[in-house]
This record gives sequence, C-alpha cells and structure tokens, in this order.
Amino acid sequence: MSDINSTKPRTLGRGICIITGASKGFGRALAHKVSHSLEPRSVLLLVARSGTLLQEMKEELQSFTEEQQLGVHCIAVDLSMKEGVDEIVRVARKEAVNEIEHVLLINNAASLGDISKFGSFTDPNEVNSYLSLNVSSPLALTAGILQVFPYRTGLRWSVVNLSSTFALQAVPSWVLYCTAKAARKMMFTVLSNEEQHIKVLSYSPGPMDTEMQKDILRLTGVNNHPLPCQESVGKLMKLLLDNDFSSGAHIDFFDV
Amino acid sequence: MSSTQCTDLGRALCIITGASRGFGRTIAREMSGLVKPGSALVLTARSGDDLRSLEAELAESEAGRAGLVVECVVADLGQMEGLGSVVRASKEAFSEDIDHVILVNNAASLGDVSRDAKSFTDMAEVDSYLSLNVSSSLCLTASILQAFPQLPGLRRSVINITSLCALQPFRSWVLYCTGKAAREMMFRVLAEEEPDLRVLSYSPDKCLYCPVQPVLTIGHCIVPGPLDTDMQKVARSRTADPSIRKSFSDMFAQGQLLTCEASCAKLMKLLLEDSYTSGAHVDVYDL
Repeated sequence: MSDINSTKPRTLGRGICIITGASKGFGRALAHKVSHSLEPRSVLLLVARSGTLLQEMKEELQSFTEEQQLGVHCIAVDLSMKEGVDEIVRVARKEAVNEIEHVLLINNAASLGDISKFGSFTDPNEVNSYLSLNVSSPLALTAGILQVFPYRTGLRWSVVNLSSTFALQAVPSWVLYCTAKAARKMMFTVLSNEEQHIKVLSYSPGPMDTEMQKDILRLTGVNNHPLPCQESVGKLMKLLLDNDFSSGAHIDFFDV
Repeated sequence: MSSTQCTDLGRALCIITGASRGFGRTIAREMSGLVKPGSALVLTARSGDDLRSLEAELAESEAGRAGLVVECVVADLGQMEGLGSVVRASKEAFSEDIDHVILVNNAASLGDVSRDAKSFTDMAEVDSYLSLNVSSSLCLTASILQAFPQLPGLRRSVINITSLCALQPFRSWVLYCTGKAAREMMFRVLAEEEPDLRVLSYSPDKCLYCPVQPVLTIGHCIVPGPLDTDMQKVARSRTADPSIRKSFSDMFAQGQLLTCEASCAKLMKLLLEDSYTSGAHVDVYDL
C-alpha cells in the first residue's frame, strides 16, 4: 500500500550513526544498509576490534559515501576496555560541532561466552570479563554518547540494543549469554523510562548466517536454520524508519 | 507434591552471604532455629566485627547451646581467594550426617540510586557493581555445587534474594535493576539445567512504593512496605526520583516498613513447604 502523501523516501535524516561490532555479520550488513538511509553530511562511526576489516568496509562503502557526502570513521578498539569506549566518545565529540538531526547508536557488539554448564563458572575473572564487554560497555558507551549529544529540540535520538530470545528464555548451558542479554534488556528499559526524548529499542534479530551462528553450530551442534542477515537488517531498518515502536519495547524479527 | 509441612530444614549446612546485617542476619538467626542438631552455618560478609557479634549471639542461642556449628568467613566474594575461603569453610563444616545443603545468595549492594543511566560513563564503576552483585553469586553457587555434587540422600537448595526490581524497571535504579534482572535469569538457567536442585528467587519485599493496603496472611498483618534495612535507609535518602523518595520517607515515618523477621518467616515457610517451582520468583506477598 503506497502512501500517496509521501513524495520522497523516508530517511534517518542527517545523522551520526555509531555501530559497534561493525566489522562482521549483522553489524557490517547494517552499516551498508544504514548508509543508504542517511542524508548528506551524515557520519558513520564503525567500531570493531579489527582495523583491517573496518578499513576494508570503508573502502567498500567509499564510492557511495563519497557521492552521498557521508563521513566514515573506523574506530578499531576493544570495547571491553575503558579506553575503547572513551575513544569512541572522543571521536563522536569531534563530530558534535556539526549540525546533526539524529543520533543513532547501535549496541551490536557482543560475544557468546563459554557455552557450558553453570557449575563450570567458578572463576570470577572470566565472568567479570564477560559482563564487562556485554553489559558494562554498552551502558558506558550509551551514557558517554548521551553526554556528547544531550537532547535539544530538533534532535532525534535512537538507541538500539541488539537483544535475543535468550534475554527472555533460560537456556541450559547458556548462563553467561542469557544473563547478559537479560541484564541489557532491563538496563535499556530503565534508560527508556528515564529519558523521554530518546527512543530505545531492544531488537532480537533472529538466527542469522553470521560467524557467531557458525560458532554456535560448532560448539553446540544446534542448527538454528539461520536466515541471511540482510533480512534481519531490513526489518530493523523498517522499525527505525517507521519510528512508531514504543520506547523500551523488545521486538523480535519474527514479529515485524 | 507433599502437603504436609516439615517443621525443620533437616540436618543442614547453610551458607549465607551478606550475613552480617539486615536480611542476611535475620536469615542466619531464623535458620539456626529450624535446623536439626548436627547442622552448621557458614556465614560470610565483608565485615568481621558484625559477623563475630552474630556468631556470639548464635552461640548463646538454644541451637548454639545444642551444638550448632557456626563458622564466620570474612571474605570479598568478588575475589578468587574470598570464594575459596567460603568453599573451604563449607567443606570443613560439612559432615556425613548432613542431608541438606542450603546456599543463600543474599549479599548485594544498591549502587548509586541518585543518578540516571546516562551518568554511568565509567565502565569501572559498572564492572565493580556487576562483580559484587552478579559474578560473585554465579561463581559462589557454581563452586558450592561443585563442592557438594548431587548425591542420593542429599537435598540441595539455592536461594537468590531478589527484588521486584528484577522484573520492573525503576528510574535512577539502573544498576540495581540490571543486577537483579541478571541474577534472576542466571538462577532460572540453573533451575533448567539441574532438575534435582531446588532454586528459589525470593523477593523479601514487593512494592517500591504503593498505597497502603494491609495484606492478611496466616494471621499476620503484613503492610506492603519495603524491607527495613540499612539498604532501605540509603534508598530513601538517595533516590533521585522525588516521588519515590517521598513515598519511602512517608512509609518510614509512619512505621510501615516491613520487618526482616516478618519477611524471613515467609521465606522459611516456603523452604519448609518446599513446593515452590524451581527457578520461580516468589515474593513475600505471594500466597
């Protein structure tokens, strides 16, 4: 059904879009898609550990981004380190001088952790390290970027938490992953309650054909019949462009 | 499921964290009266003085005079040595006669409730919070379950002291809500993995703030206020949200906080009946 009142395609506006875990899988596919919905003089901040892969992406995007006047910054950092989060905030701050209409932060980076029985987790260093990357880091990053771009009239603010059905469902041998996803879901819901001007979305992307899914198959033998991640990216884009989700909602790929 | 209520928790090894004050201290007292002779309590906290005074009090109690063993372990559960010392003390306190191992994950902290999520730019602060409130209970539980594996004739119960905050978000309480939500999921996974293990997430109070409506249960009139502890004292003086803060202060001023004894009585009843669904969230007002 076409909207006869719309004369131009919907966009995300002139924005700064930060994507963590941007070098592979969902994050990488999202970066490609998002760049097509950002208006000229937008900026894309791609964050991952691998400078090489990020640079490769930047080159892939180059002709398009040049034509569309999109700035692309590759930030090769480890998000489990405070310095990594601080570096992203620093780069974002430099971009804050430009008039932007939309801040879009995609908390996508994550790890599976050791998929093992509960009883194996006797080392606090292992658990702390896992929670640091998967829970503390997205909170500190989101807070840091919020400090750089405080709300003002005319500024659209969107935060996405890449979630999972495992945020809701307790799965044997998946204590680390389930715990972190449940923590993140609550964390972002509290944020949505506190910040009336930010739209917060927890998006559960469904099983996708990524390296993470290959790891899952190798480690657990479970085949989740993954779909191409472009499909899931498409649904997230629709949610962001329609922009009529309730802030704080947890939405699954299969519900869109 | 048996409908006859046990009057005791068996010959038990009870390990209680955060036992020096508040709800943990009350649990230690109440459990000591419900375990059979030959039982042992391992009480841990960071504060040695408070633990020792509790130890002395328990030694003088009826159970103490009947031979209840009480071991106090001053430990930081966020460190391997701290965990190790609690596991060692538990193994030493264990005897062949013990038929029930009970682990109460009670130790927790509030986090800074005067600030919104957007102020938590310091990863170290969040890491430290999660270490105490999430990692330490995972690692302690895992270590205790390894130390006391499933055996015929041995019951094992794991209790997670939780909160409504595990289920509902509250403004300016991001750390506490996040930690409690994490723990609740953690213990649900445990319950799924170990069907022979009894796992209970018990919320000692329910309302963060709500209109006063007394709830009647087994002859006791329990006012639905928050639990009366040092943690609540901090909460009512520091919560950023003014309406929540006022609500807490009003309830405190009107004597409407729930006593630890009243809430603990409900927890003991749940453990004695032993009919809760493993992994479930049960609060003091659930009938």
